[in-house]
Amino acid sequence: MVQMLEVRNLRTQFKVDNGIVQAVDGVSYHIDHGEIVGIVGESGCGKSVTQLSLLQLISSPPGKIMGGEALFEGVDLLKFKSDSEQMRKIRGGNIGIIFQEPMTSLNPVLTIGQQIVESVMLHLKMDSAAARKHAVEQLKLVGITDAEQRIDNYPHQFSGGMRQRAMIAMAMACRPKLLIADEPTTALDVTTQAQILELLKDTVKHFDTSLLIVTHNLGVVARYAQRIYVMYAGRVVESGTSNDIFANPRHPYTIGLLKAVPRLDEPKGHKLVPINGLPPSLINRPPMCAFLLRCSYRTEKCYQEPWPELKVVDGQHCVSCYVDLPAKKLGSGGNVTILQLMNTAGMKDPSAELSDIVASTVSQKDQLTNSTYQSSEEILLEAKNLKMYFSGTKGFFKHEAAQIKAVDDVSFKVRKGETLGLVGESGCGKTTVARCILQLYSPTGGGIHFEGRNILGQPKRGLRNMRRRVQLIFQDPYSSLDPRQTAGSIIGEPLKVHKMVASKQEYSHRVAELFEMVGLDPSMEDRVPHEFSGGQRQRIGIARALATNPSLIVCDEPISALDVSIQAQIINLLEELQEKLGLTYLFIAHDLSVVRHISDRVAVMYLGRIVEITDWKSLYENPLHPYTKALLSAVPIPDPFVEEKRERIILRGEVPSLLNRPTGCCFHPRCSEAIEDCSSIVPTLKNVGGGHEVACIKM
Amino acid sequence: MKMTTATVRHIEHMELPPRISEFRRFLRVFLSRKVVIFGSIIILALLLIAIFAPLIAPHNPTQQNLWETLQESSGKHLFGTDHLGRDVLSRIIYGSRISLAVGIVSVGIAGCFGMFLGLLAGYFGGIVDTVIMRCIDALLAIPPLVLALAIGAALGGGLGSVMISLGIALLPTYARLIRGQVLSVKQTDYIMAARVVGCSDLRIIMMHVFPNCLPPIIVLVTLNLGFAILAEAGLSFLGLGIAPPAAAWGAMVNDGYKYLLTNPILSFAPGLCIFLVVLAFNLVGDGLRDALDPRLRGTI
Repeated sequence: MVQMLEVRNLRTQFKVDNGIVQAVDGVSYHIDHGEIVGIVGESGCGKSVTQLSLLQLISSPPGKIMGGEALFEGVDLLKFKSDSEQMRKIRGGNIGIIFQEPMTSLNPVLTIGQQIVESVMLHLKMDSAAARKHAVEQLKLVGITDAEQRIDNYPHQFSGGMRQRAMIAMAMACRPKLLIADEPTTALDVTTQAQILELLKDTVKHFDTSLLIVTHNLGVVARYAQRIYVMYAGRVVESGTSNDIFANPRHPYTIGLLKAVPRLDEPKGHKLVPINGLPPSLINRPPMCAFLLRCSYRTEKCYQEPWPELKVVDGQHCVSCYVDLPAKKLGSGGNVTILQLMNTAGMKDPSAELSDIVASTVSQKDQLTNSTYQSSEEILLEAKNLKMYFSGTKGFFKHEAAQIKAVDDVSFKVRKGETLGLVGESGCGKTTVARCILQLYSPTGGGIHFEGRNILGQPKRGLRNMRRRVQLIFQDPYSSLDPRQTAGSIIGEPLKVHKMVASKQEYSHRVAELFEMVGLDPSMEDRVPHEFSGGQRQRIGIARALATNPSLIVCDEPISALDVSIQAQIINLLEELQEKLGLTYLFIAHDLSVVRHISDRVAVMYLGRIVEITDWKSLYENPLHPYTKALLSAVPIPDPFVEEKRERIILRGEVPSLLNRPTGCCFHPRCSEAIEDCSSIVPTLKNVGGGHEVACIKM
Repeated sequence: MKMTTATVRHIEHMELPPRISEFRRFLRVFLSRKVVIFGSIIILALLLIAIFAPLIAPHNPTQQNLWETLQESSGKHLFGTDHLGRDVLSRIIYGSRISLAVGIVSVGIAGCFGMFLGLLAGYFGGIVDTVIMRCIDALLAIPPLVLALAIGAALGGGLGSVMISLGIALLPTYARLIRGQVLSVKQTDYIMAARVVGCSDLRIIMMHVFPNCLPPIIVLVTLNLGFAILAEAGLSFLGLGIAPPAAAWGAMVNDGYKYLLTNPILSFAPGLCIFLVVLAFNLVGDGLRDALDPRLRGTI
């Protein structure tokens, strides 16, 4: 039987100034009719370039497809010219594509309708009236309400989730046989992500279309994909059914990835095992296995032989590795499997050591969490009825047009030595809270008490003192370091500003110490940020925050811009530093698994208010607010066995704009348990026992 | 504490060439392109000529000799003589003093004050921004040469007043350009990081904002030099600049154009010098911009 799509030995390379980047290096995969297949890998592993190559969307030069075949229903697409009639028919006609960034993949000067109609008229040869009718149907199908009116809207009038829906409608409008979704949900919030993935699954089922999901998120593919390909450095290193991959990973990279991601269902205190080192540069790569230097299972043979071919180990399960990791058929995947696998496989080399550490850390961290929990009652930071309103002005005389209540009456306490996680969807006011605490904004109302003193409205000198004690770690390691300063002077600046060192020797000694503290080589101090990788830059940012010996560090999404294998390194570093230096963290993130992993207590925010705040255990095991429940259920777990059994609450709609906040409980329009009173009564945080506070009138 | 010692800590090393001192790295990048070396040599040579003019010049630049007016190039007068019989080569050599000084000082005045105002306006915003930028707008409304003329007339003649008036006339462009740069740099995370660290406004402006605003300014400076040298000629022609017997390139181009058909070298020789100065500063400006760009580190 002819497969829907079969890619054989595809090779694509890019010419750059100092060599050749082998972006896709002999990739083969296939997709059957009606199948959902996932391609997983970190950024730069060639997963997107592979898809662009087979559609011949690579810009050339510098890119060039060097060889291979891409058989679509038996016809080799690579035989056609990039701008040929046949290729244009395939693209958007037989193969639909959805890109990652819904903000830029729609043309801002055309209405949504015009963009759908354009492709429908082209591929389905409809006249404009019929095409418009067809477009409205498509929009209805992807769950856009009032499709007749909204079809004439421009992209900026749609929210992120709606734009991605429109993209799906556009891709599906021509009834493609295959839909390629390249990171379809990466730019979206977790609840919207769940909606979009469900929609994708239902749509392809409805039209009997095959779906190829390209993503870096293992959780996303675990829930939906039937088969998975894991890519690394331009090659497929492991492939198989999703049960094969998750329950019985055989390639060291796959095993590493699964261990490096914190999960909602793992025991707390389990230390993440990061993949050491950095992803390899693809420029003039040596012929050996690219994972070699990061691999903890490597043998002599790996150094001498070229990169191993994919070989079948079991049914559909293929692995490209010389080391034969023992196969284990275990009922439920997840932790147990991985830990056991580590124990059995690690007899020969460093991973034995690693699992020891894991075991010892588990117990230590448990003790630690328990002990900090009881002993430290000293409050380091307290926000009291914090309010931050931004006013929008309008017209020549700048009269106040609207008030945006970004943070509205937020109160919480952070105890010394603990980590308070702050979670919520984008636009819920997490970052605004952080900036108020750091005095980057002056709050409209309320108070912030730090070490017992109200720090709002104090004179400049007090502010400078406070700056020493409270520091910030930024989300984006690229824009948060001055590109024209060397790493050394970035880290040393706080020392100079606060005159914390007496002599030049003391300065350089302290800078070197800070470098080592975050795991960087002090000899790199005169390099500029551009010369470091993303993970290393984040380490520099952390070292800068540590320079003044702060007691509180606000971490604003410190890992969300990093690759999966690097995230674990940074989380571990933050945990280690906390223990060593007795730091207190306010940890802001949208990733609930990470927050669960690192936090002692967690606050959930929605539209500028805290809806639930409690210790991590009660929050994750006994969430009381409907919003928390929905958030938790939207987080994908990288394990198909667990995913099958999970019950899911899909939230309706999207986060409303702060400009028209719903009356009463602002969550009521999306709440599945809402009653009539919810739209009129504003709930306040109520203690329901054991420090568990919930803002819901039904409690 | 046991855990931290037990944990396998990886100090990350990078495989990059050994580090050299900051200044030597700067020089290496700067001198890595041949055209930049070429430009530097021209500037250096012109500066030396200007400084040692009395030693180099074969004749007195103001000495008239009415028996030898408008001569062709010869062994005695390499670039010939002008309508008053003065040696053109000597006048060019002496003229380099005034032309280079006017160019560099007036662009320097414009650059320093323009950037200062632009930094203030961009960084502090609000009322500071409004006041400064409205004044700048007012200056921009008048064509630069007319503006320089008015200021020059107010200050009275002489070299100093030419430099100041040209400086003020060129200033608005710098202020506008740098203000725009500051506005975009101000929004970046690293400026916020500097505030969180506790840096004063002055430190943030000098250490973080200013260096990141510099590249387009370098380009503008190199373009403006030629304009300033020519504008000086215009002002001198109208009697605001240098008094007639003294030599300046711009004025020489102006004087010579009457004899363009019979004795073109009178205009061409000083014109070529202006061209060389502008070209050389352009090349050096390019090299400077590259040498200061951290993104090019390690590639050159």
